[in-house]
Amino acid sequence: MTKLVPRPFRWLLAALVSACSGGALAQQLTYLTHWPPETVALLEEAIDRYEAENPGVTIQVRAVPFGNLLSTLRSQAASASGPTIAGIYELWLPELVANGVAAPIPDELAADVTDGWPAGLVGSVSVGDTIYGYPNEVNLYALNYNRRLFEEAGLPGPPTTWDELEEYAAKLTVKQGNVTVRQGFGIITNWDSGVVHPWLSLVYSNGGALIRDGQAVLDEPAALEAARLYERLIAAGSTDPSMATANASTTGPYLQHFANGETAMIIMANWWQSALRDSMGDAFEDIATAPIPVGPNGDGPHPVSYAWLTIVNANASAEAQAAAWDFLAWLNGPESGQGGSSAMGDILMSMGILPSRNSDVAAHQDELSTPFLEGYISQLGNAIPFPTLIGGAEATVAVQQALEAMEVGHLTAEQAMEQADREVQSILDR
Amino acid sequence: MLTRPSTATWLLLAPGLGLLLAFVVTPVLLTAWISLNEWSMYTPLSGMTYVGLKNYLSLFGDRVFNAALRNTLAYAGLCLVLILPLSFLLGQFLYRGLARGRAALRSVLFVPYMIPTIAVAIIWSYLYSPLYGPLNQVLGAFGLPRQAWLGSVDTALVSLVIFNVWQTIGYYTVLVIAGLTQIPDVYYEAALIDGANALQRTRYVTLPLMRRTLLFVVVIALINTVQVFEPVYVLTQGGPANATNVLSFQVYRTAFEFGQAGRASAMAFVLFLVLVAAVGAVMRLLRGSPEGGP
Repeated sequence: MTKLVPRPFRWLLAALVSACSGGALAQQLTYLTHWPPETVALLEEAIDRYEAENPGVTIQVRAVPFGNLLSTLRSQAASASGPTIAGIYELWLPELVANGVAAPIPDELAADVTDGWPAGLVGSVSVGDTIYGYPNEVNLYALNYNRRLFEEAGLPGPPTTWDELEEYAAKLTVKQGNVTVRQGFGIITNWDSGVVHPWLSLVYSNGGALIRDGQAVLDEPAALEAARLYERLIAAGSTDPSMATANASTTGPYLQHFANGETAMIIMANWWQSALRDSMGDAFEDIATAPIPVGPNGDGPHPVSYAWLTIVNANASAEAQAAAWDFLAWLNGPESGQGGSSAMGDILMSMGILPSRNSDVAAHQDELSTPFLEGYISQLGNAIPFPTLIGGAEATVAVQQALEAMEVGHLTAEQAMEQADREVQSILDR
Repeated sequence: MLTRPSTATWLLLAPGLGLLLAFVVTPVLLTAWISLNEWSMYTPLSGMTYVGLKNYLSLFGDRVFNAALRNTLAYAGLCLVLILPLSFLLGQFLYRGLARGRAALRSVLFVPYMIPTIAVAIIWSYLYSPLYGPLNQVLGAFGLPRQAWLGSVDTALVSLVIFNVWQTIGYYTVLVIAGLTQIPDVYYEAALIDGANALQRTRYVTLPLMRRTLLFVVVIALINTVQVFEPVYVLTQGGPANATNVLSFQVYRTAFEFGQAGRASAMAFVLFLVLVAAVGAVMRLLRGSPEGGP
């Protein structure tokens, strides 16, 4: 019957049925996400199929921009009428658990998660030993480079060390007077994760860390050397901070410069594939990916990785929570998608985002074997998750601001690392 | 002689006072109460933890808060310095200097003010585009170097000021025109007979009689600029390197991203106090309209 009713009115109908039946007959769930409209359409298609198989359950998708996702959760999650299901960044999970917003997964579904996903990802959706949701997308960082520009500059291939990174960046840079026409290596500003994750990937690939044993360790040589690397690239003119701006949608000029061939190399996460392809058209074929260049003290490339997960609101009624978990088990299960993939796996692949369920990776093996994604897939085993802790978002901003201050010359590398280390430690000490 | 308000008076006032109480007084008091607590916003208000003045005391040594306060004052000051003379000159030009097309030009000036700031900000993000933005193309046509605009710590805040002045100047110009219409022509005729030139008529007739209007323009511009949020959120996210981080954006970030609603409320109250102090200072400075002033 639900198919006969347009989606906007289905929710109203379900509310009416629920009201008339005292809530016993229908479950109305809401699914909060930051996905774009075309992806929401795919999610709604999957929901249509689920609703057809499960009469009495109605799921409404609420989509907000990424920048508004956390604020929406904060303002609505405390209420029973808030979103029943939400896709969240793993960094937010500890605080959601501490405040009783994220419901633990039912015991009968926990085994599905532990058996179906890599152990590292199970850890990213857990606090202590308790699992709080289904992992879905995985993002990690890699060096993106423009092969055409490399060929024109006569370079053999992507840099594998910091020395090569500096050398190649200088060769790829083109200036007209004081104006940078093309920068060899691009960085990102005005977006916390976009600033911190690529730089931290260089720190990790130099044997360093952000936090170790509950202590900030940005004052260690590995981090300082990564800051000095940025300083040298900027001083040499190979990196131009004025070309680094990101906007509220985490795209903007930095992406356009790379898409237009005005940035030859940049460290970015795999999720930007679809945005890059949209901006570049056929020229996207010029883009290849490679492991993070390794620093003088590193034992190999170690990109930052982070995951997203889907949680259920603990403030929802017990019946709504049960219905939400049932839907999520179906959405993430191998029966709901095409060719052994889950519906979630299919949706993520439509955006060029790496799915995380083992069976999804196997089902999409061919699509994952593109020159762009291979550079990421090959590094999954080397990736180090961004630390998840209460205050993680604030710590990220603290590091971002120190790095940006250094990039514009307000602080030296030493001062920036001292400031970042002190401020991250004060957040950890709370 | 004042008489005690009757029951009917209270009944007539009740809807207005009720709305004021519900939507102005209560939120202000609630914000004041939250500022004395720690609260992540994930729990009901009853789940807050009382911490007294801790949130306020923590602001004194806060590097980011201090930078945001400085940026807010710089932004408001720059906007005022541009808006006040520009709106006065444009108002004079539209009211007295332009013979034809006055209404059309006034409408054109006012249009940007009617468009939602978010939509205008998105358009300006393209205007400010470092490579292909029209502004840099214009500079290039005159042989001038292109600017990073929002991408540079040196120009980002000024870029936001230009955006704000462009968007709001029409509104302030209309206020000035409204003030100019209140000045009787006889004053100008008398000044002419006394041999005053145009500059002297402006200095000794228009400006004194426009004092209240200009005071209103300053106060409204101050309130609007100190609360700037949308362009910062859409265009810069407070960067680069904190160059455009203003108090209202820091309040938002502290509450919704960092989950520290108590601290954010304390910031909001400091912002409120700054605004009250600034408006008070301006009113004290400019108060004292001559008799007969509009």
